Amino acid sequence: MVPHESWAGYHPSMYELFEHTADLGLRVRATDLNTLFAEAAACLFSAVVEDIGSVEPRVAVTVELSGTDREFLLFDWLRDLLLKHAEDHVVFGKFEVQVRDDGLTGTAWGEPFDAARHMLAHEVKAITYHELKVVRDGDEWLAEVIVDI
Amino acid sequence: MAKPEFAGTLEKIGCNCWRIPKSFKAGMRVDGHIFASDKLMETIRKDQAPDQVANVATLPGIQKASLAMPDIHWGYGFCIGGVCATDPEEGGVISPGGVGYDINCGVRLVKTNLFLDDVKKHIRELVKALFYTIPSGAGRAGRYKFNPVETRRLMGEGPRFVLDRGLGIEQDLVHTESNGRIPDGDPHEVSDHAVKRGADQCGTLGSGNHFLEVQVVDAVVDADVAKAFGLELNQICVMIHSGSRGLGYQVCDDALSVFRNCPEKYKFELPDRQLACAPVGSPEGRKYIAAMRAAANYGFCNRQLLMHQAREVFAEVFGRSWQDLGMEQLYDVAHNIAKLEEHDIDGVKKKVWVHRKGATRAFPAGHPDVPEQFRSVGQPVIIPGDMGRASWVLVGSAGSMEKTFGSTCHGAGRAMSRTAAKLDGAGRKIEKELEARGVIAMATSRSGLAEEQPKAYKNVDDVVDTVHEADLSRKVARMRPIGVIKG
Repeated sequence: MVPHESWAGYHPSMYELFEHTADLGLRVRATDLNTLFAEAAACLFSAVVEDIGSVEPRVAVTVELSGTDREFLLFDWLRDLLLKHAEDHVVFGKFEVQVRDDGLTGTAWGEPFDAARHMLAHEVKAITYHELKVVRDGDEWLAEVIVDI
Repeated sequence: MAKPEFAGTLEKIGCNCWRIPKSFKAGMRVDGHIFASDKLMETIRKDQAPDQVANVATLPGIQKASLAMPDIHWGYGFCIGGVCATDPEEGGVISPGGVGYDINCGVRLVKTNLFLDDVKKHIRELVKALFYTIPSGAGRAGRYKFNPVETRRLMGEGPRFVLDRGLGIEQDLVHTESNGRIPDGDPHEVSDHAVKRGADQCGTLGSGNHFLEVQVVDAVVDADVAKAFGLELNQICVMIHSGSRGLGYQVCDDALSVFRNCPEKYKFELPDRQLACAPVGSPEGRKYIAAMRAAANYGFCNRQLLMHQAREVFAEVFGRSWQDLGMEQLYDVAHNIAKLEEHDIDGVKKKVWVHRKGATRAFPAGHPDVPEQFRSVGQPVIIPGDMGRASWVLVGSAGSMEKTFGSTCHGAGRAMSRTAAKLDGAGRKIEKELEARGVIAMATSRSGLAEEQPKAYKNVDDVVDTVHEADLSRKVARMRPIGVIKG
């Protein structure tokens, strides 16, 4: 287990990358679902960019999703952000999410990828459904997602 | 996340073959068969890959057995190194997870008429020129741009589309699996998102385990087959490992989001959501097959453009045309793909959907799909290893048709997770260590180099020995890297 380095705005212990033989796992803990989903996105982009703190919040993207399955909602939220990153060459560093019983509204702030200031760490091919988890763990929420590298 | 050791039965049933009986798990329709030496099995037991072999055995319409090659390791849904065949006549399914996100990830080997002594003094210059010419790493755009209409044509025609632009020759197609074009694909089933992701990535390496290597033949094991393949000791070759880039990932992703409702719709149960599948003949299944075939053709084209750029660099560095340098393509194989093939199932010839997720087609001598030039010896099989030790050229053999639906291994297989390898590489200079072993390596990402360091992989020689002894494919020649470019 490798705790991720601290970066501006996020508590270092809230998310980490965990081991998976060929790929990478994202593990996030939070006291509420809104923070859990925001931290999961931060964890994803900490795998994409070497230093997520180098990303400035210059543009905002809003994602609206409907659905009642929390795991699929988390999957779709991360999938949409990854697609925007891949298609439009944007990197994100700040996230806010409102999770409802019937869907979510999420906003991601970031900027166009700039090779002079950002270093890409991994090409995350996709979010996978394998062992996808959003569960209560004592007083906290726990999410686990494996991404394909 | 430490995974528990596999708790089920692994019963040795033949040369390097282990059985997971179908009684191991509820829902298994057939046994699991893992091909591994005793030594490799010690490692394989330690993660959950055998459990994934058992999960695949639950897929509707699966034939004979759920198979795994000796480079098996824990994947998502399917294990990496997995092979399964499903029969559409028996409710057989197609599974995007059984192909993988990187549709038609594969390997191409290009020969030269140069020898080690010719290249030694130029190797630094050569690696540098390859690194700065060939786009590699996450997010890098290539020099070839295709508008959406052209991208769809390219997916319909495969590398022939770029041959017309002077970026290859007819023989390149003949020496590519399926002649570089899987028929009956439909580029219009590929989403606009996927086309957009692929528009500027054809001819780029990507990151992760993808690479381009300058290699030297350091052992010839089968002199007759090596001669038929045009390989000899100390000869320089170029190996290219890449796939269908963002376009392929998106095709898989698009299909999985549709397929996640299929178990309920078609009334079957799956032990893992990532095994999502649909009956071959269903609307969902047909659409995925059409898009997957089109994406596979993009993958062949990507390796064609990577090879073209490598040919240009060699011509520049050595001051001779690539034709003068004898830069002929030996062969190009896919190792993430599903194909409709005819196989003998209990004495009956059937057309089945063979899923190869980290496994390589290995057709033997005489098979009609082997190019005429190699038909008397068998299909060339290209097995990339790690960047410090070796890669191999094998030849397909008869045992593959009997035991593995004409399949063999695809590489060394990971032994360490990426996070463990990165931690292990912290503070070390991997490129200096490689240089001490006679390998000049350049990578866009420092962490990529640590994650891909040689010891993160099993020894490819052990994997290749296993498939050789099991007669899935036979050893022809071993290649040692001397120059590496990576994402």
